[in-house]
Amino acid sequence: MEGIYAFGLLAVFASIVIGFWALVRENDDLHRILLTDLAEILALALIALVATDLAEALILPGLVVGISELMAISEVFLVREGLVRQPERMLQIEVMDSAPGLLALALVGYGILLSGFSGGAVAGIGVIFYFVCKGHDERFALLETLSGYAWAMWIVAFFIFMLLPQYWFFGVLIAGAAILLKVAGKMSLVGTMRGGANV
Amino acid sequence: MSVEFFLGIAILVIGTTAAAFPRPKTYLTRLINLEIPAWGLLLIMLSFDETLALLTFIAVTAISTFVIVRVVERRHAA
Repeated sequence: MEGIYAFGLLAVFASIVIGFWALVRENDDLHRILLTDLAEILALALIALVATDLAEALILPGLVVGISELMAISEVFLVREGLVRQPERMLQIEVMDSAPGLLALALVGYGILLSGFSGGAVAGIGVIFYFVCKGHDERFALLETLSGYAWAMWIVAFFIFMLLPQYWFFGVLIAGAAILLKVAGKMSLVGTMRGGANV
Repeated sequence: MSVEFFLGIAILVIGTTAAAFPRPKTYLTRLINLEIPAWGLLLIMLSFDETLALLTFIAVTAISTFVIVRVVERRHAA
């Protein structure tokens, strides 16, 4: 087992050297974004070699942060290169006016019932659908507030684990609710990618 | 366990080289080559039984491909 771990570590470090060598030599910005994706895969491989539950616990937030980072960088790139374009005619069909409220409510409700990471994903899909259909002006402030509350809940849960370990179940519940808010908020950003006033 | 692991490591190294120095050097070639190290990573995760990480990685890769293709498409259109 030790030998396998050392071998894997060596191979992944060799890959990281190759990846960063290519990143240093690259001049085109979009190629650099693609190589950043490669660097993320290599970093995840490094964590995956830990091969315990700790690896999974580290990989999941890494993936969520990675995708939001990629979306932010790509938006910055588009704005800087002046490639942002307003769609002339949004897709508008009857069902997009009537369905989102009820469907988003059902998905978010079911997501809250599931709670945790997968619940966040289900609720996030509901919010994506709502934003895609209804538009999203001035709702970013709400998302940021939610994200802030989720962080605070996470810290509270952490302190419960550390200081009052006998109330661990309460801590688990708080952390599960917080990651639900966090993942749902991050995923709902996908729904705003259609373009709009303050994107 | 070790068959998937060594295959994954080999594919990771080969794929990194392919994505770092693609030929011809276009955005799409590099994007498609990026799938190779991702496969290597998936095999490594499979060998260590990291189910949740594996499934989430598949989902996130789908979204990130969507994001990158959008940028590449706008770049080509301009």
